[in-house]
Amino acid sequence: MTTRRRVPRSATLIAGCVLAGLVLAVAVLSFFWLPYAPDDTSGDRLMPPGLPHLLGTDKLGRDLLTQLMIGARVALEAGAGSVLIGGLVGLAGGLAAGFATRWLDDTISALLDILIAFPTVLLAMLVTAAREASLGSAVIAIGLAMSAIVARLTRVLVKRVLAQDFITASRTSGTSWPRIILEHVLPNIWPTLSVNLALQFGLAVLAEASLSYLGLGAPPPNASWGRMLQEAQASVFIAPAGVIAPGVLLVVLVVGVNLIADGVRDVADPTRRRTR
Amino acid sequence: MNSKTTSLIGAALVLALALTGCGSGSSGSAGSSASTGGAGATAAYDPDATIEIGSLYEPQNLDNTAGGGQGVTEAFNGNVYESLFRLTDDGKVESLLAKDHTVSKDGLTYTFTLRSGVKFHSGKPLTSADVKYSIEKVTGPDSQSARKSSLSVIKSIDTPDDSTVTVKLSSKSISLVYNLSYVWIVNSQAKSLTTTEDGTGPYTLGTWKRGSSLTLERFPGYWGTPATNKQVVFHYFTDATALNNALLTKAVDVVTSEQSPDALANFENNGDYKVNNGQSTTKLLLAFNDRKAPFDKVLVRKAITSSIDNKKLLSSIWGKYGTLIGSMVPPTDPWYEDLTTVNPYDPNLAKKELAEAGYGSGFSFTLDTPNYDPHPTVATFVKSELAKVGITVNINVITADEWYTKVYKNRDFAATLQEHVNDRDVVWYGNPDFYWGYDNPQVTKWVEQAEQSDTADGQTELLKKVNQQIAADAASDWLYLYPQIVVASSSLSGYPVNGLNSQFYAYGIKKSGGRG
Repeated sequence: MTTRRRVPRSATLIAGCVLAGLVLAVAVLSFFWLPYAPDDTSGDRLMPPGLPHLLGTDKLGRDLLTQLMIGARVALEAGAGSVLIGGLVGLAGGLAAGFATRWLDDTISALLDILIAFPTVLLAMLVTAAREASLGSAVIAIGLAMSAIVARLTRVLVKRVLAQDFITASRTSGTSWPRIILEHVLPNIWPTLSVNLALQFGLAVLAEASLSYLGLGAPPPNASWGRMLQEAQASVFIAPAGVIAPGVLLVVLVVGVNLIADGVRDVADPTRRRTR
Repeated sequence: MNSKTTSLIGAALVLALALTGCGSGSSGSAGSSASTGGAGATAAYDPDATIEIGSLYEPQNLDNTAGGGQGVTEAFNGNVYESLFRLTDDGKVESLLAKDHTVSKDGLTYTFTLRSGVKFHSGKPLTSADVKYSIEKVTGPDSQSARKSSLSVIKSIDTPDDSTVTVKLSSKSISLVYNLSYVWIVNSQAKSLTTTEDGTGPYTLGTWKRGSSLTLERFPGYWGTPATNKQVVFHYFTDATALNNALLTKAVDVVTSEQSPDALANFENNGDYKVNNGQSTTKLLLAFNDRKAPFDKVLVRKAITSSIDNKKLLSSIWGKYGTLIGSMVPPTDPWYEDLTTVNPYDPNLAKKELAEAGYGSGFSFTLDTPNYDPHPTVATFVKSELAKVGITVNINVITADEWYTKVYKNRDFAATLQEHVNDRDVVWYGNPDFYWGYDNPQVTKWVEQAEQSDTADGQTELLKKVNQQIAADAASDWLYLYPQIVVASSSLSGYPVNGLNSQFYAYGIKKSGGRG
């Protein structure tokens, strides 16, 4: 038996990184180079894929590839923004609930349950009504909806860590609570939490696409994949590229992110690591 | 034992299947021979057919003076309710419940003689009291009718006898007869008209399943020519794609108004369907707030009008359908003229005009855009076109309710996109208080004079002047006129093809062959 410690590797992690990296590369590229200007309507209506428009054009004669590349930006921004809001708010709420007295804990839990039961679309409509239909509103709504899920998970994880003996030991040796959180609680809950956040990233990308599809996301002329799907829907039989292209990219990104989440879990959790 | 039971059940099943097979075979052949025989023996159409109509416009309620909306006009106008006059599908006004009418020399007194033998669906005969009641219902304080202001010239209505109505006006109104074609004659004793009806039309209301369908039944006691079908069912859809699929699967026979050209590919060059390209009265406007800088300057408005390639826009949205009009008047209005050359598409001219107006370096404005099709797409196009002449457009997407409050009521906007569905609505440019705030005293005067002209020619001449003037002033940018596309099964004939004010006369629709 060899006892040499190996760097954990995961095929799913690699596949996930390749898929999501592809979308990331497209998004980064879009800042430096685009086939056409975003609002260039010089093409004909619904041109099929070919030259000079690789993926064809939309109803207004805009280049589909250009729209798609900008859409990658929007999708990643939406995912990252939502995870940032959802992660921070959720972590804060979860920590508060985890450390709280019984009474406060129950109150926070009840609030979280209500928030989780609230459909994201309804939440988005409320945020949109209070602000305006924009990518920012959509991200806030998705982030808020996500924060409830993150908070509930964090609360459970925190409680589990706090019940451990080493915390009691730390406490009796006079360590302050903030230090315990930083040194013991966060490092212990992070592996599980990060996997969950990665999964939430994928869901947030889908949520943003759905909201934009419903007209609650980025307003025109911003190209969001959801908006592109909605605009191309009526012409799906005569110009399928308009629906297929953003649809495929959505799948690539979401599957990629989910594979990363799975991979991270495999790597981080020794019990799930497969022996070869 | 067990296996025996199983085989017995098996045998019984086989027998049963064989029997059903025989049964359905024989009844099937009997049915088909009956139907071909029937079709051959009777006239070319089935007088007892049910016409299935697909529409996106369900009524809000059944009263057009209580906010019933476009849907109730579509289902009831001319079908369930009739007026003194009828607006035909090609825009002419004919006598309907009024047999005759005379106008006094000063043009201020109209005397209408009612047709005799007309009965309401409840059985009560039509009298002049019902006509007076019906007109007052439209002009009354509770009325939400869009026609309320057009009829405000009516000073008094008298009913000297049961078949005569005398209407006195405070000033001359050449459009009175036309406007009366929108006034439904309702039984003055009828109650709860938002959920029931009592009209004189060729159909009575069958059932109305909210959110789903509305059924009209042929009225046996109709005074005129009976409907050429027995029953009409309006099926309501909220999604245009679902509606088109219903037509493809023959769940409906006809779609009253297609909203996208892309679905038409399924019906064109398909012998089972006929695509009718009719005239609509719906205009898409880029309406400026003419009160506010920079849109208070004619040159700025002209420049914007010249910067937008309406031809390309129309083909983007409607493919080969639709019409460019260059003004507010659709071809079905008597005062139509092609004014597309007044402010031609010419970005260089636009730049020159902008410089002359003092906006050579451009400016930016917010475009309030309703969130439903086609407005967001059009806004995107407008933004891209105006960027080429140095104007930055910020698109602000709003709901229909927000539009009503923010733009229509509070006039809190710079420019907006909106569709205007009515015919003969160029006269709104004569009202300086309208939401777009176009204020040209000469135009206001012409509109007033047109209404008071003695002859239709006089009216037409003045309204042509109005139309030319608003085009010269680029009061708004009239982007295009919608097409009115009615797609119907080829077994149907006699349906209206022009969507004038969204009415849809069903009484002449004939269905050949038959699905029972």
